[in-house]
Amino acid sequence: MLGATDIAFLGVGSGIKLLLWPAYHSTDFEVHRNWLAITGSQALRRWYVEDTSEWTLDYPPFFAWFEWVLAHAARWWDPQIVRLDSMGYASSSCVAFQRLSVMVSELVLYAALGRFVRASGSSMQSKIAAALVFLSPGFLFVDHVHFQYNGFLFGILVYSLVFAMEGRDLLAGATFAALLCFKHIFMYIAPAYFVYLLLNYCVVRGSQRRAARGGRLDMRASAWRLAKLGAVVLAVFGAAFGPFAALGQLPQLGARLFPFKRGLCHAFWAPNFWALYAAADRLLLVALRAPASASSTRGLVGDTSFGVLPAVPPLVTFAATLLAQLPACIVLVRGRRSPQRFVQSVVLCAYASFLFGWHVHEKAIILILAPLGLLMAAPSQRTLRMFAVLATAGYYSLFPLLFGAQELPVKAALLLMWVLCALALLRSDRNVAAWACLSAPERAYVLGHVPLFVAAELVPSAAFGRLQFLPLALVSVYTALGVTYSWLGLLVEFLRP
Amino acid sequence: MVVLLRPAAGGGARRGGVVPTERWFWFLGEQDAQGIALPVTLLFALLVRWCVALHGYSGRGMSPLYGDYEAQRHWMELTVHVAPSEWYFYDLAYWGLDYPPLTAFQSWVCGRVAHLIDPSWVALGQSRGIETPASKLFMRSTVLVLEALIYVPAVVLLFRSRQMPMNWIARETSIFSVLLQPCLIMIDHGHFQYNSVMLGFLVWSVYFAARERYLLMAVCFCLSLMFKQMALYFAPAVFAFLLAKCFRSPYGVQLFVKLGLVVIGTFGIMLLPWMGSSAQLHQILIRVFPVARGLYEDKVANVWCAVNAVAKLRVMFGTSALVRLAAGATTLAFLPSCVHLFRAVKRSAVGQALLPADAVKLLCYGLVNTSLAFFLFSFQVHEKSILLPLAPVLLLIHEEPWAVNWFVQVALFSLYPLLFRDGLQAPYWVMAIGWSLLRSCPACPADKKTPLPVLNAQWLTMLAMVALHAAQALIPPPPSLPDLYVVLNVMFSCSMFVIFFAYFNYRQLTLPLVRARTARSRTKKDN
Repeated sequence: MLGATDIAFLGVGSGIKLLLWPAYHSTDFEVHRNWLAITGSQALRRWYVEDTSEWTLDYPPFFAWFEWVLAHAARWWDPQIVRLDSMGYASSSCVAFQRLSVMVSELVLYAALGRFVRASGSSMQSKIAAALVFLSPGFLFVDHVHFQYNGFLFGILVYSLVFAMEGRDLLAGATFAALLCFKHIFMYIAPAYFVYLLLNYCVVRGSQRRAARGGRLDMRASAWRLAKLGAVVLAVFGAAFGPFAALGQLPQLGARLFPFKRGLCHAFWAPNFWALYAAADRLLLVALRAPASASSTRGLVGDTSFGVLPAVPPLVTFAATLLAQLPACIVLVRGRRSPQRFVQSVVLCAYASFLFGWHVHEKAIILILAPLGLLMAAPSQRTLRMFAVLATAGYYSLFPLLFGAQELPVKAALLLMWVLCALALLRSDRNVAAWACLSAPERAYVLGHVPLFVAAELVPSAAFGRLQFLPLALVSVYTALGVTYSWLGLLVEFLRP
Repeated sequence: MVVLLRPAAGGGARRGGVVPTERWFWFLGEQDAQGIALPVTLLFALLVRWCVALHGYSGRGMSPLYGDYEAQRHWMELTVHVAPSEWYFYDLAYWGLDYPPLTAFQSWVCGRVAHLIDPSWVALGQSRGIETPASKLFMRSTVLVLEALIYVPAVVLLFRSRQMPMNWIARETSIFSVLLQPCLIMIDHGHFQYNSVMLGFLVWSVYFAARERYLLMAVCFCLSLMFKQMALYFAPAVFAFLLAKCFRSPYGVQLFVKLGLVVIGTFGIMLLPWMGSSAQLHQILIRVFPVARGLYEDKVANVWCAVNAVAKLRVMFGTSALVRLAAGATTLAFLPSCVHLFRAVKRSAVGQALLPADAVKLLCYGLVNTSLAFFLFSFQVHEKSILLPLAPVLLLIHEEPWAVNWFVQVALFSLYPLLFRDGLQAPYWVMAIGWSLLRSCPACPADKKTPLPVLNAQWLTMLAMVALHAAQALIPPPPSLPDLYVVLNVMFSCSMFVIFFAYFNYRQLTLPLVRARTARSRTKKDN
């Protein structure tokens, strides 16, 4: 049941989200409206073929089914929403419906976090951590202003992680498989799941099963579990992709889900390693006074070309990502395996693909921050420090997503409130508040976001003259420094056996 | 479902009758995070204001006259481009300036800034009805900035002053509640007006009254009056308070003379551009007090409008008779409270000293009762004028928790017809439910401080309000009575306000006043 404080908490959150309805929404709003129209008005075999609008369906089948369910409600709400030819339709009733669908589906996240709190013994710190995940600027900016359904999807992820914490590995695996069939970006963290489930669930040692590491491998039990897990995962994937395989559309789905046509960096450089690489290239270009061929910030989504440093082909980023994911697996192999370490491994996995992946969106930072946020129920001192730095930088890096002057006070107030609460309320396992844990340079870095905000958002763009890209580049380089720093810190922390 | 953020067990006595707002600050205290309380409150207040500002405003897209938004913008346009001698004469048919000089100066300052950023926002004649996103953003931000400069610091300082004795949680809860009071947010940041400037100066004058700086108090009240003549609703109480202070023994006459000089000086400075000509001053006077407009505007939850539903006063009497009737009734209504305020303060000035905290409390009750008297009985009342009684009512939020919560609910309800016209239904619902959720007693039946009959009555009125909303949404009014729901709203709100008026008068007249001497000796003992 919902307690009085739950109601107050949900009420305040929903109130702000409701008030944000008329705020800016990105093309993702129209993308999702179009998917409502496709799934609501077309037969199953047309879903992944239909291309009247340029915003074709490119999420896996479960998400399409999710849109299909919503489309039924939408038809009742306002039939205009689910018509294929109402492109760009954004009347107040359409906005209300779509915004409301985000808010309602987000309750999955709330329920999942409630389960997480219970799994953590209902400690105050776990409640604070859960509240900070639920009302994080990530979901507020990306879901409730920009427009996406991350709250719902991360709810499924949190459920899966909590199942693992409760020791229900098979269920965790099945849930994660289902999540992959909702949105395939979660593949970034699949290696952690694969290794964890393999070692923790499938490998059975000795007679007392999981307890001791030293025991001999129990082949029969292990094989049986492997078969069970495989069957469950296959069943989930079969439910998702089976109908389309029967229609012979798997190649079409593949082409839709994995379009390999984009550049190394997104229009705005996500704060990752490649942003630093590109910035270094720019600096070298100036230093060597080499003739510039093209600027990666000037072109929109397209190939990034470098002036001095060697170009980065997709294969290199792929290799770098895999290499960076190795520590995530090592976390699970070395030392005692625990649900805690599994979540750490998920975080490192997400981190690796964020830092080194091809065409990474800044929004993907939530994939690191949400699982890491769960670890804030009882973090070590260093984990807490790294989280504080990463969360500030990572959520700040979402600012360019809401670029309008109208949203400026909204994003500034939301982020400031969240950071204040996080720094004051999160505590390390030795009961030291986050702000008190931070070292002087880390504090300076966190505070440095204020002048960064002034330079990037408040100074009129005319002041930058010919260097119009400078504010954005400044944001991505500054935040990339914090993101990378936290990665190194977390690597050191999590790799301790 | 697990309860997020509930304070751990062992909260002791405080835990029982606590509204969610208090619980939040209680939680911050428990977590040793008091430092973030005020910043988070201020940021949240900013966020809510700006979110409301994303929605509609008065007269949006309603050519050719638009609404209050265009009036304010038009004043910026005319003050920037026209000489002050023309300000109160310029094209009176199209939103002629009809507020006192401080509003004109504010329009001029904002207009200058607008002219600097983009002259097209305030181009003379050309800019009428301009509604570009950038100009709207500018207009909205002027309200926010002025409120942040005047109203917000006054509220924070007043509640943090030593003259408002309460514990940390009560203090922070009061600041939070006053800053997130929905009515002012909806009118200023939704409908579009600058009431927070007038009310901000009023709170400043209460603050200076608390600090016993009576000259500054008088100056601030004059500024409030010079921003909007509506501040006259408070004038009898402020006058009674200051006059009584002049009866203190050693320097009473001196104070009286100084106050007179300060008031005349403030008015003089404000009217300086027009001092040369009596025709100018006369024009300002008739612009600011347009008696000819009628007994009340639109449908207002005051007594005349409610009576009008039964007896057509405007048909029965002429305008001048009505003015006299209204003036007489208003005077009768505010007299008891003002006389009590005067006598209590005078007695303290003469002999037994009044505790500063009690003096502030007394002043607040006086302000509430006079302004409510004006709202209910005076001539030419706007529905927005409920903001005036609301401001001092909220300063009593710690003394009168349930009455204030309830008053705010009803006041917001009485504004609904206006907000409906502005297309502000969505924020209205968010703010109404939000206030009830975070502050109001029925939402937390654990509150043991509220008497049970009050709790039940409050539930009943909430039900009535919800029922009226539901009826309005579902059942179209009969063709013979197109304004049925608005009239019902007026009758309901008016009767509630009359009850509150009686209650606050009762509370003021029976206020237990602790004499300073005994109280002081007691605090010494405590130390």
